[in-house]
Amino acid sequence: MTPAEDIEDTDPGLARDRTELSWTRTAISFAALGGAILKSRPYAGIPILALSALIWKLGRLAGAPAAGPGRSRRLLLIAVAVTGVSLVALALTLLGPEPAGLRP
Amino acid sequence: MMVVPDSGQAGLRAGAGAGDGEEGSTDASRHEDPAGPANSADSAEPDARFTLANERTFLAWSRTALALVVAGLAIVQLLPPFPGVPWGRHIIGTPLILLGSAVAVVSYFEWTGNQRALRRGEPMNRSRLPVILAMTIAIVGLVAAALALLSGVGRN
Repeated sequence: MTPAEDIEDTDPGLARDRTELSWTRTAISFAALGGAILKSRPYAGIPILALSALIWKLGRLAGAPAAGPGRSRRLLLIAVAVTGVSLVALALTLLGPEPAGLRP
Repeated sequence: MMVVPDSGQAGLRAGAGAGDGEEGSTDASRHEDPAGPANSADSAEPDARFTLANERTFLAWSRTALALVVAGLAIVQLLPPFPGVPWGRHIIGTPLILLGSAVAVVSYFEWTGNQRALRRGEPMNRSRLPVILAMTIAIVGLVAAALALLSGVGRN
């Protein structure tokens, strides 16, 4: 395909839409995780739910022309958030009470 | 892996790729971030489409990392204990959580490196994450199979 036939040359907005949708999926992933653990461990679920709202809000800025520092900081926030969630999960796994597991 | 355009094509078209001129900028000094040297003479803000594609790749890896953490947590919390192997669930779940953490960190550095390569018109480094992911999941799968067999033998 030559560059002139590339749909994004004629409609560059699709790349921004895809990126915004990707941010939305990431926010939904955080919301699903927060909702899943909200019942058993609300102290861990509520911050993750709040984080999902923040990520959704940041995703609305993804199509904006704010490249550079703003974009880098947003992505750093995601990396730090996922790392933080995994460290909390690790602490719950190793230090929490022995779970009984689901019984059929 | 995304193909890097050569410097004569789209990779260094400052603000030209978006069509409306608002996503890119010819003033590279405005963008001081870890993704690239802002004051380098041979660097410029890459085509917005490549920047957005790089960002989507990072977000996809972040979701993968989150899914790994959820899977590890679910294995430890929801799976019934293996008979005769009291730490069986932890042996399977903990590596997945650690892998999720590693994927989140490595994907951020890969995004930074890719963004820098796009600015300079250089080829991007091959991602190490697929190999890390495939190897770890394969090993965890083998360990899970071994645990299932061992616990089945212990029960019978």
